[in-house]
Amino acid sequence: MEGDKRFRELIDRSFVEEVSEGERQLIHDHIRDCDGCKRYLELTARTIRGLREFTFTSEPDSNAQVRQILAHHTQTTRQHNVQVKVWAAFAVALLMSFVGTALVYQVAKLLAVPIHFNTAQVQAGVLVFWLLPSLCAALRLLAAPGENRGIA
Amino acid sequence: MELLADLVERCQHRLVRYLLYLTGRREYAEDLAQETWIRVLQRGSQYNGRQRFDPWLFAIARNLAIDYLRRKRKAVATVSLPNDRDAMLLLPSSDPSPFEAAARSEDAMRLAGRLQILPPLYREALLLRFQEDLSLAEMAQVLGAPTTTVTSRIYRGLAALRSAFEEGDSHGG
Repeated sequence: MEGDKRFRELIDRSFVEEVSEGERQLIHDHIRDCDGCKRYLELTARTIRGLREFTFTSEPDSNAQVRQILAHHTQTTRQHNVQVKVWAAFAVALLMSFVGTALVYQVAKLLAVPIHFNTAQVQAGVLVFWLLPSLCAALRLLAAPGENRGIA
Repeated sequence: MELLADLVERCQHRLVRYLLYLTGRREYAEDLAQETWIRVLQRGSQYNGRQRFDPWLFAIARNLAIDYLRRKRKAVATVSLPNDRDAMLLLPSSDPSPFEAAARSEDAMRLAGRLQILPPLYREALLLRFQEDLSLAEMAQVLGAPTTTVTSRIYRGLAALRSAFEEGDSHGG
């Protein structure tokens, strides 16, 4: 009985893993005299054959559906990436506008002294000739045409 | 994108079949297959072209299926085997069998009933070995388990299915 168990393990192994030619011969010799193990081998072979006889049918448009989903996903991802880039560029442009404005204001204050401009006039000048144009330039990034538009 | 379309053409059917063995339900399998392809699209750069594509694909599908089943059957899973990721796959499906619909011979029909109640862990091992013809090393890669575990699952699965014939034949005469 213990011997049969060993042979059955060997039979299982012969279907699942590589076994040596010697082991194969051993099984062959054993099943000539052992009906129990012979039946075991036949049933195992029959089980594996049976497993290979399952045929699953796919939905007819399954592949097309997947391709469509992937195309849509690619498109969405691409648009999302573009939007992220545009918003990042806008943030940088905005930052540069304010930093630039601060610098220009300092320089304009110095230049305004010889020509007797007061602070309000300098502020108005910087606002009209520097801050507003640079803000408009930054906002233009968000209003770019097509898929480069930051505002979806 | 064209390469991916070719892969879908080549593997979609087998992917759905694998997920069917794993989940035991057609609608889960179809949904998960779509999710798997999206994951492939997102993580394509992680695929190292030296190995076969199929095991990598099945491994992605398996992880998604486990997460999906975990969400679906969370309560049951925490009662059975809380710390084992594979625990989700030990839960047999109770729905009508897709295996009976796929059986193309009398023997396959006999096996269909057993397959439905067989724990998915064993079902997937049998599928990967005998239908996908994956090597044990490739199976180990898909299942994230050592080859000894893989072979033990195959043997247990085979034993459970073999009994369908043993009982059937003894009842028959």
